[in-house]
Amino acid sequence: MNAILLEDVCKSFGDVHAVNNLNVNVPAGSIYGFLGPNGAGKTTTIRMIMNIIRPDSGRICIFGDHSTEQVKTRIGYMPEERGLYRKMKVAKVLSFFGAIKGCNARDLARQVPQWLERVELVDWADKKVEELSRGMHQKLQFAVTVINEPDLVILDEPFSGLDPINQDLLKDIILQMREAGKTIVFSTHVMHEAERLCDFILLINKGKPILDGRLDEIRSGYRSHTIAVELEGDTSFIKTLPMVRQTESQGRRMEISLSAAADPQDLLKELVGRVKVKAFEVKTPSLHEIFVRLVGKGNAEDS
Amino acid sequence: MQKILKIAQREYIEVVRTKTFLLSILMTPAIIAIVIFINSLTQRSITGPRPPRTVLVADMSKELTGEIKASFDQYNTSNPQRQILLQEPATDEGFDESAKKKVRDGQLDAYIVLDKDTVEGTGKIHSFTRGTNIAELDLLSTAENLLNSAIVNRRCKVRDISPELLSELRRRVPVERMDIGSASQQKRLKEGEQIAKTMVSFFFMFLMFMGIFGMGQHILTSVIEEKNSRVMEVLLSAVSPFELMAGKILGLAGISLTVITLWAAAAIGTAYYGASHWWDVNIELPAEIIPYFVIYFVLGFLMFSSILAGIGSVCNTLKEAQSLMMPITFMFILPMVAWFNLAQHPDGLLARVLSFLPPLTPMVMTLRLASTPPPSFLEVFASIILLAAFVPAVMWLAAKVFRTGVLMYGKRPGLWEVIHWLRQR
Repeated sequence: MNAILLEDVCKSFGDVHAVNNLNVNVPAGSIYGFLGPNGAGKTTTIRMIMNIIRPDSGRICIFGDHSTEQVKTRIGYMPEERGLYRKMKVAKVLSFFGAIKGCNARDLARQVPQWLERVELVDWADKKVEELSRGMHQKLQFAVTVINEPDLVILDEPFSGLDPINQDLLKDIILQMREAGKTIVFSTHVMHEAERLCDFILLINKGKPILDGRLDEIRSGYRSHTIAVELEGDTSFIKTLPMVRQTESQGRRMEISLSAAADPQDLLKELVGRVKVKAFEVKTPSLHEIFVRLVGKGNAEDS
Repeated sequence: MQKILKIAQREYIEVVRTKTFLLSILMTPAIIAIVIFINSLTQRSITGPRPPRTVLVADMSKELTGEIKASFDQYNTSNPQRQILLQEPATDEGFDESAKKKVRDGQLDAYIVLDKDTVEGTGKIHSFTRGTNIAELDLLSTAENLLNSAIVNRRCKVRDISPELLSELRRRVPVERMDIGSASQQKRLKEGEQIAKTMVSFFFMFLMFMGIFGMGQHILTSVIEEKNSRVMEVLLSAVSPFELMAGKILGLAGISLTVITLWAAAAIGTAYYGASHWWDVNIELPAEIIPYFVIYFVLGFLMFSSILAGIGSVCNTLKEAQSLMMPITFMFILPMVAWFNLAQHPDGLLARVLSFLPPLTPMVMTLRLASTPPPSFLEVFASIILLAAFVPAVMWLAAKVFRTGVLMYGKRPGLWEVIHWLRQR
């Protein structure tokens, strides 16, 4: 079952192709990351999913339904531009948004205090929104997004403006929500956030998908054939091994690049016989590296 | 519908709680009260007690002395608090420069010269005074009236007619005006009641104007504020643009109804009390127009606030909105400006034509319903139908603009761009 399905979606603003033939398939119950540099089309895509702007062409289904309007109460959406009624009280804001998202009063009486607790804003329930700090405002915004306990949560740059403690708080809640079977889609341009959370990622640049799939598959597909080692003894022989392309010493640590066909296990066997191995790590490329590699290349192609 | 009501409820509560709203509620009656108060102050300065004034009257004919004195004495006896003291001229020469100087210096309040041939010929009364403020004009006109009656008395004497006979001849026949208008029973109209009636019709139109135009403006502020605080996108993730717009309009319509009910209650209370205690007239309120008033109000408010919601959605600041408001403001002010004409000829061509221009219908029809003769039922019915057909069309267009406009930041879209949005599905 797909939570979100986008087929050949295009959207232009004037001459700019903000989104170009985008196909997205978000499986239900997963955490899905929209990654890309600024201006890649992440927010436009999310806004089209939310039916806030309409695609020029293509098809968008949410929970198998063609009209976002009908399933709006099952979605929680946090836009990139954060905003709440500044003059209203914190608890009032929560229950107002809960109500327009279709919660009944009885559920809200339970959920509002519960969510204030979860985002650690209980003491601020009777304060006006304008009195909150930026971080607290952000957490309230998140609580507003999920007050109706939606099946699908869409977060546009959820971590921007949060300190590390609150970022962890938010990540924990997101993970708990996945445990509860919810689908979470979020966009970010900070790769390590995606790396820690996502099951699936979609990397877009200039409105075009560059990379799409399970995060672990992607990473193994982009193995960098680099091995980091810490050795004791004479290491000069390593350079002469046939499987080694080059080495780079960084003090006690050494990075060894293998030729494309080589198996890291063979290298380990060679090393164990001749030197004392204190550390041996097959480096998987970080998403950041993949991102820079792909986006950098894409940019180069264009220019 | 649930969502629309919820948005309406929030809008209502949040607007009602602001201080500016409280001020705006109190402001209008306060301004009216101040105007009435100042008016009554000036009124009092014309009729209330004041120190005696001195007037020098030089009669060139020399034959009026007795009559003038009698005339002024009579006035002073009946107005002991507003005496006008008569002074005889020192010389026989007309247009005495020293007397004029006394007027300028303030020793005299007025200097009046009667030509030689005022009694029989075409002579004039020449008045010299310091200023032309209301108090001076009042003094002059009183003095001139007294001199005129003195001259008339003199003419009677010359022709051997007794002044009593003259006043008997000139006695006016009393008029009794009846209103047989809409109600079956005839009503006697006291003097002043006709003016009151006109004022009542104006009051109803003014109430409609304030209710629609005055309160409708809140939607502009509300939409622009939500755009600026970026809460718009959060709202639109939960409700459709149409639901949002409808909720806002509904909430503000509720506020507006509350306010005009309060104002109407206050005004009617004051008018009833004032009418019987101060002015001694019966003000009759046409209660039968209230259902029509409500219908016209609701339709008019929907129309106006939809237009404003559309305008608000494409603007980023109130200042930007103000320039777009200009033509609309002008349109709504039109019946207020044309009020006098409309009130005098409530079934005239102008009134009829304006009744069928949908934006003006609510105000013009309210005025006409409260006037005599009232418009025919057919006209009322037709105007309501036309308005009721016009309103959804306006709302539909406004919702289309609103839908795209609320998420546009930065440069205000041009007219062509907006028209392009309207063509979108």
